[in-house]
Amino acid sequence: MAANISLQPREFVMALSSTAVGGFIGTLLRDVLTSAEHLPSPSSSLVTWPQEIPWVLLIINFVGVFVATRLLRGPLRRRDPNDLTRLLIITGFFGGLTSYSGLFVDLAAIWHVCVGGAIGVAVGAVLSGVLAGWLGLARLHR
Amino acid sequence: MTLLLISLVGALGCVVRYVLEYAVRRHHPTRRPWATVAANALGCGIAGYAAYRLVGASDVHLRDIVLTGFCGGLTTFSSAFAVPAILQREHHWGFSLALVITTPLTCAGLFALGMALAH
Repeated sequence: MAANISLQPREFVMALSSTAVGGFIGTLLRDVLTSAEHLPSPSSSLVTWPQEIPWVLLIINFVGVFVATRLLRGPLRRRDPNDLTRLLIITGFFGGLTSYSGLFVDLAAIWHVCVGGAIGVAVGAVLSGVLAGWLGLARLHR
Repeated sequence: MTLLLISLVGALGCVVRYVLEYAVRRHHPTRRPWATVAANALGCGIAGYAAYRLVGASDVHLRDIVLTGFCGGLTTFSSAFAVPAILQREHHWGFSLALVITTPLTCAGLFALGMALAH
């Protein structure tokens, strides 16, 4: 399917609205879930780096990649990037739910306690993203 | 109230990312996610700056609104790994691998630059 590259003003407003609604819900859900996890302050001398690992965000990111990959190769495969459903779900909801910057903020806190630990968690986060994408495709091609 | 603001600003971040993607795609039609890489790098740069600047902020809500809301919405982990996975499936191995390696390195570099500028 040819991509709908250029949008009319009304279509563009609809696209922005769809992205905003998905982004609102995704961000809301991420904030609620990550707020449930209380990571200790890295400035405390009693903190060890494993205590600073943002497990909730790592799991959110893993699930987000898995489901987004599955949807983009499944039900949303033939939707162009300006399709309202795709914008609502992929660009908005999963874009708002998952976070790259949040990961780096948490990695900076680990770095403050243990540089090696921060590098290890960063590598683990990247590998988990690759694995989630691979699993998202593997289920479809079974 | 803060949760509502975080969500609203997060939605704004998503919209900014989409506008960036739309503008790039409109002028340079491609399936390669350059704009997503740029949005992630930009969001991490802003996050680095804000994380340093707002580390001792009296208003902790402002930190959450900027970092969790705007930067969280502007950046995306799902598309950053879903798109390379799909490109790899379509036999664009080299580009897929390059995205997986360069995106986190670029984000790390911009995050560090943001912190350095805030220092």
